[in-house]
Amino acid sequence: MSDRRWIVLGEKVDPKWDPERARAVREAITRRAERRRTAVRATFATASTGLILIGALVFVVRGRFPQPPARSTNAGVSALPAAPPIAVAPAGVVVVTPLSQDTVLEPLPDLSGRGFRLRAGGARFSVPHNAQHPFVVVAGTVTIEDLGTAFTVRYVGADRLDVSVEEGRVRVRAAGSDTELAAGATLRVPLAFVTESEPAHAPAGLAGSSWRALAKHGAYEDAHRALSEAGPGAVRDNGADLLLAADAARLSGHPADAVPYLERVVRRHARDSRAGVAAFTLGRVLLDELARPGEAIDAFAVARAAGGPLAEDALAREVEAASRAGEVARSRELALLYRRTYPNGRRTTEVSKFGGLR
Amino acid sequence: MPKPYLRLAPAPEDPVEFNELFARYGGYVARLAARLLGSGDADVDDVVQDVFWLASRRLYRIADMIQARGWLATVTTRVVRRRLRRRRFHSLFHASPSSDDVPASGASAEQRAILIRLYEVLERLPTKQRLAWSLRYLEGEPLNAVASACHCSLATAKRRLSAAKNVIDEVFRDE
Repeated sequence: MSDRRWIVLGEKVDPKWDPERARAVREAITRRAERRRTAVRATFATASTGLILIGALVFVVRGRFPQPPARSTNAGVSALPAAPPIAVAPAGVVVVTPLSQDTVLEPLPDLSGRGFRLRAGGARFSVPHNAQHPFVVVAGTVTIEDLGTAFTVRYVGADRLDVSVEEGRVRVRAAGSDTELAAGATLRVPLAFVTESEPAHAPAGLAGSSWRALAKHGAYEDAHRALSEAGPGAVRDNGADLLLAADAARLSGHPADAVPYLERVVRRHARDSRAGVAAFTLGRVLLDELARPGEAIDAFAVARAAGGPLAEDALAREVEAASRAGEVARSRELALLYRRTYPNGRRTTEVSKFGGLR
Repeated sequence: MPKPYLRLAPAPEDPVEFNELFARYGGYVARLAARLLGSGDADVDDVVQDVFWLASRRLYRIADMIQARGWLATVTTRVVRRRLRRRRFHSLFHASPSSDDVPASGASAEQRAILIRLYEVLERLPTKQRLAWSLRYLEGEPLNAVASACHCSLATAKRRLSAAKNVIDEVFRDE
């Protein structure tokens, strides 16, 4: 077929485009444009709403956590929000999160925000360790001291207290005995009395009382003062009393005064179940607070020999003490011992550093 | 005489009005779509709607009514190509549409039979070759307009036309 014939045939293909069809197509285009406008408006409205919500959320989150709540040292923190904080606390800042609306927390005096009394409810504490200013929580007759950790303290009824450790370790002191808790552990402690009626500081009922009563209520400053006035004879020669006296001295900012009490526990009550803890505490005081690493080596060695959950930490601190005392060969030898004994130890990094194994 | 520092911009053309564009070229786009598709009313109306929908959103690209015809031919070819490809894909799963509905009411019985046979052959050709051949031999567009509408070079357009023509000439050698 010729090209011309195809063109003639093509002209026969005609869809009969009449005004009626044109109008129908025109209306369809108009409807389509209207649908598009509606869709654009809906998308714009949705996006605007989303942006407003995100902005409001950011505003609320930033507004809620402008600063860590537990930095307050003058007022109670019972009015703090019950929800857990979302903000990340800067290093070195204590973060206290009340766990319920009825939580009542009061800062302990003279501890610069590193001590609280829990009167009711429960709270979570995230605490960077500071050997010179140990963080303590007093709940009824129980004292919890951090060893660098995050932990929760919560009243269970009126006569019991739960202490749960998320990271690090804490020491729980109740009824004259100490218990060290490691990460993941929970301890339920019976309370001697209902804490809601407990006074905050140097209780009026205890005014003029013995240093022992003051210390048991967390009034360490007053307890240390009372103990100084009463003289060393006021401390009974048993592990519980000596450790309480040491705490009164240490937690009131007089670490040197704590050393004789701790040494007495280690030397005279070596069979006491608290001797290992006393030796470890003595080592920490000597090394961290009094800068006497040579003596700290021996204290940590005793704590290590006592075994138990503190043995690993004691050996690690022994390496550190030896290093700081300039005993290079000994620190290396101890570091190698640590590696052999605890191949996956959590203090491997610092042990390697102080032992010169890097 | 010193040359002026600033060259004056050309005076803007009158903007193309959509209603006028549709009124003038609605029929042209419908006929072109029918010849490229070889099918009836519904398909053609859909193509016209798609083409003018695009035109309504891109009126700023059309300088004047004269250029509008070429622009519409290019858009129509693109819309038809997409529709033909979709139709070919559907034919893998469903029966192919009948060629009986070629919109050629003014054709004689013999012409109609040839057209039906022609669209059956075109249906088997590659879409690009089919469109080039239809633009050239059914619509009567010059080669450069075919290349422009198919969005390809002149050489490519010629190559596609030649390939399609060989097949169609072979089929209709005795006609």
